[in-house]
Amino acid sequence: MRKSLKFEIIRGAAAILVALAVAMVFIFIISDVPFQALYNLIVAPFTRMRYIWIILERMIPIIFTGLATCVMFNANQFNLAGEGAVFFGGLVAGACAIYLRLPPVLHAAACIAAAMLVCGLTMLIPALLKTKLGASEMVSSLMLNYILLQLGVYILSYHLADRTQGATMSHKFLDTAIIPTLVPKTNLSWGIVIALVATVLVSIFMYRTRWGYAIRMIGINQSFSKYSGMKVAATVVMCQVVGGMLAGMGGAVEILGYYDRFKWRQLPGYGWDGITIAILAKNNPIFIPLAAFFMAYLRRGCDLMQLNTDVPAEMLSIIQAVIFLFFAAEQFLSKYRHKLVVRDAKDEIAGKAAEKEAKGVEA
Amino acid sequence: MEDRSEVVRMKGITKVYPNGIAANQSVDFSVRKGEIHALMGENGAGKSTLMKILFGLEQPEEGEIVINGEKVVLSSPNAAIAKGIGMVHQHFMLVPSLTVAENIVLGMEPRKRGMFLDYARAVSLTEEYAERYNLQVDPHAKVMDIPVGMKQKVEILKALVRGAQILILDEPTAVLTTQETTELFRELIHFKEQGHTIIFISHKLKEIKQITDRLTIMRAGKSMGVFDTADVSEQDISRLMVGRDVVLKVEKEPPSPTDTVLSVTDVHYQNEYGKQMLGGVSFSVRKGEILGIAGVEGNGQRELVEMLFDMNQPDSGAIEVEGRPVAGKGQAYIRGLGVSHIPEDRMLYGVAAAGTIEENLIADRFQKPRFNKGPLFKMDAIHEESDRLIEDYQILCRSGGQQVKMLSGGNIQKVVVAREFSCAPKLIIADQPTRGIDVGATEFIRRKLVELSREGAAVLLVSADLNEIIELSDSLIVFYGGEIVAYFEDTSTLTDLEMGEYMLGLKRQSPEEIRRVIHA
Amino acid sequence: MLENILGIIFSIPFAFSILRITTPILFAALAAVVADRAGVTNIGLEGIMMISALTGVIFSAWTQSAGVGLLCAMVIGMLVALMIGFFALILKTDIILAGIAVNMLGSGGTILFMYLASGDRGYSANLASKVMPSIDIPLIKDIPVLGQILSGHNVLTYVALLCVFLVWVLLYKTPLGLQIRSVGENPNAADSVGVSVNRISFIALGISGVLAGLGGAFMSMGYMSSFNTNMTAGRGFIALAAEAMGRGEPLGTFLTSLLFGFADALANNLQSLGFPAELVKMTPYVFTIVGLAVYAASTMNKAKKIRHHSKTKKAGAAQAGA
Repeated sequence: MRKSLKFEIIRGAAAILVALAVAMVFIFIISDVPFQALYNLIVAPFTRMRYIWIILERMIPIIFTGLATCVMFNANQFNLAGEGAVFFGGLVAGACAIYLRLPPVLHAAACIAAAMLVCGLTMLIPALLKTKLGASEMVSSLMLNYILLQLGVYILSYHLADRTQGATMSHKFLDTAIIPTLVPKTNLSWGIVIALVATVLVSIFMYRTRWGYAIRMIGINQSFSKYSGMKVAATVVMCQVVGGMLAGMGGAVEILGYYDRFKWRQLPGYGWDGITIAILAKNNPIFIPLAAFFMAYLRRGCDLMQLNTDVPAEMLSIIQAVIFLFFAAEQFLSKYRHKLVVRDAKDEIAGKAAEKEAKGVEA
Repeated sequence: MEDRSEVVRMKGITKVYPNGIAANQSVDFSVRKGEIHALMGENGAGKSTLMKILFGLEQPEEGEIVINGEKVVLSSPNAAIAKGIGMVHQHFMLVPSLTVAENIVLGMEPRKRGMFLDYARAVSLTEEYAERYNLQVDPHAKVMDIPVGMKQKVEILKALVRGAQILILDEPTAVLTTQETTELFRELIHFKEQGHTIIFISHKLKEIKQITDRLTIMRAGKSMGVFDTADVSEQDISRLMVGRDVVLKVEKEPPSPTDTVLSVTDVHYQNEYGKQMLGGVSFSVRKGEILGIAGVEGNGQRELVEMLFDMNQPDSGAIEVEGRPVAGKGQAYIRGLGVSHIPEDRMLYGVAAAGTIEENLIADRFQKPRFNKGPLFKMDAIHEESDRLIEDYQILCRSGGQQVKMLSGGNIQKVVVAREFSCAPKLIIADQPTRGIDVGATEFIRRKLVELSREGAAVLLVSADLNEIIELSDSLIVFYGGEIVAYFEDTSTLTDLEMGEYMLGLKRQSPEEIRRVIHA
Repeated sequence: MLENILGIIFSIPFAFSILRITTPILFAALAAVVADRAGVTNIGLEGIMMISALTGVIFSAWTQSAGVGLLCAMVIGMLVALMIGFFALILKTDIILAGIAVNMLGSGGTILFMYLASGDRGYSANLASKVMPSIDIPLIKDIPVLGQILSGHNVLTYVALLCVFLVWVLLYKTPLGLQIRSVGENPNAADSVGVSVNRISFIALGISGVLAGLGGAFMSMGYMSSFNTNMTAGRGFIALAAEAMGRGEPLGTFLTSLLFGFADALANNLQSLGFPAELVKMTPYVFTIVGLAVYAASTMNKAKKIRHHSKTKKAGAAQAGA
């Protein structure tokens, strides 16, 4: 076990190095000031406290989408609607923040709860289509992303828009709904705390409850789970609903913590980041904040690189894709793993032989 | 010694699988040109392994292969095909949506104008071979629409088109109806007349007597000798095939069966190919007894076991556990009735291999109140349960947190057994409980099974291991052709010979004798 | 209102626009057909289309030749698809994840390269890129009504229609097609007669990439005359649904692609009638989900029926026999 963990760490590091090497090649081709660009990408994010607050800020929504992906991928459900759910969750929370009248804290909580409810129910569409009709949850969830986007923009333009503003954006949120700032003079809100609490809760859910257990077993071996008497279809639906709730919560927390009006007119991309993060965390919720930190750091590095040099921030998507591809590659460095496993097995056999001998003496 | 007419000679073949099972131990095997040669043996005797080696699918650790007097190394099926060897697999290697002609030319397609498939040529090629070998197929029909018998002909044609002189047929009649079998035999004799050599894997005595010239019998990875079919009696073959090398003795008190737990009444089932797999099976299992089901594989045991656990449903008939029907009720309900099950395919149904031992041990009981407190697992209780089971069932591991896939086969089976035996079962369905696992684990599992039955559980044991089934069972039924052909109330006086004759369909008890297994 | 809508639907420009709108979906759906028939799910189509759309614009601007731009778009499409193959087949990355990675490249990477090529992040207006020409078809263009609908399209629209036929020929009339279908349906059978499963999967992915590349090129060199971010807007995903509903058959996929083209064209026109643009834009996606559900339900019922039917038939035969 320990050796395979060590191997995973080495492999992860190798994947990141490959990605950075690829980025370096591009930077040297593109940039007139390649070393400055690299400095901005890798070192600069840690040079000022303010940058670190920004990294923490950017972690908030992607922790939620990462957790959502974790829950769904653990049951082998390739539901990719986290993107749409995070958007729509933000919208629902925004609407509640404008129209509900509640005391502070309670109001924010109600907004978040509403977002979770709506997004959870939305996920019933791909989930039930899968379990009742056998339609691929992947295709239907991809379609759902676009539906949620257009529906959301429609609601924003026709029902929430503040006509006094130049651009399309909603009315101002009531102060009672705003998630307050955690660190003064930054945009880092209490959302980060909520995200970390959510991480702990999801980890408990996945590893310490009967539902999380069933999700994981179904992901490992569905035939075994059915044979053992688990309710496979219900669990498959449940994990997608939970995934939707988490993504919706992410959208809500992001909107109420970072903005004072709802103004998204595009899918924010957090859903896809969430998938990357889940892959980096090997679908283990406990590692999600770590992976989210890494992604947010990369994003900050790319932003700084764009700000201070001639390399565009979209370099991120190339780094992200390369890391993603190598992290998920089972055969990447497999020869090395094989060596480790063989060594492990040899140790074990030797140990067992010794044990047997001891037992033989006893008998 | 060197026989000029030998087309295949395999000398001293030894094959050890990575899991340590020696499937072939220094096996000699030879076939003469133009004969139909039967390769016989029980399941697990090593005949399939031997043929896989001859077809290049497996590589032997030791031994040599001589084809037509030339020593060869068969590293792949292509190498074997090049030497004129063709194999018709038991599970057809056909593409259902392609036509017969397309399947036949796959990988060696005739072309026209350089890049197009010459379908007309494919059809004419098919027709040419079909006519030459008198194998009636419809070249234009899609494989998914044709009956099993014709699929087999397509497989045979595939081999012949590729120039096969030596044809290996792996249990060709297992999927065929009586009429189809008769037809196949006519065809085989026709091949023989044309100079082809046929190796025929089977364990059906009547068929062997009917068409083969010589036969080789294998048992437990070794050859028991080569015989002229005309010179050996069916009884001799049966004795050579099914005998036990070492007689196993299991210590157990005589059973004192009481109430009926499982009752199976007149169950019929046809598989998706329309072959009748169960033809009116009735029996019952009582508290405190071990009822064994013996039989060569493929005689309906698997279908029956699947139904007992609702993995499939009978066409007609009833299956009841303590008077409650189980068909269509789902596994959770059946487990709730106190039924536990050691599945034949332990990696598919028995364990979640990437999960930990602990996770596997609680799969059937994780929802029980004693492991939950509100929404949370009581981890202490779960660890305790897991540790207790690991100890009670002597699962060799570092801790309950170890992944099941890192364990040896015997220990994986102990994980399954620990879970299935420890839920106070009223009925245990044990399907091949000790197949392919080490001696220590085997002994342990058998002892536990006896223990539980004496404590009052009803046990239904299905096993292809003759030692196991005779010694472990209190009473025993024999399946042949989807029916019960014998019931032995007391196994202690039963001999291998007698069993073999029933298992291979040579004998059959009267309906009255068989009906005794239904305890009202 | 309804009259207006019907008026639009039965108008010549509407019929014309269906073909135009169907073109990119059709290319991508055919790409999905080829990959799927070889047993590989190519969900990177969306990303490949984006990458090829940009490639076409950049290279046609550089060389001032639409043809070279198109060729480069096709080659890049193929290379990206082969990259998916490398990760999925050799390094054993889950093919869905490999496709997602390509889609990431498609959405972000294209912005990077467009910025490098044109200095703009959203829109390639600075690039003097070329478009593929529209052509009139002799004889057909003179037929009243039909001529107006079928003639005068971009040349790539005709290529797409031709590709329906070519993919059909490939799958059903060539040895390669036979091997593709075998590998997709029963890899063991293919393997047992010496057909390399990996080799065929790579070839199918490569062809799939070329087709998706054509679809992407049409987006920026025909449908529009420049590249802008997210311009494929999920067409690569819709294509997957069209392929599923078309049961992997070239002709069936053509018909379902037309259906999506119809939904999209209708949406565009409803907008001009004053329906909220956003709701209208939703319709093709809603349509896809509904279509997928109906299709899945029908196949499920069919499977049940087959089993039931064969059982009752057998039972009947058995009785007759007795």
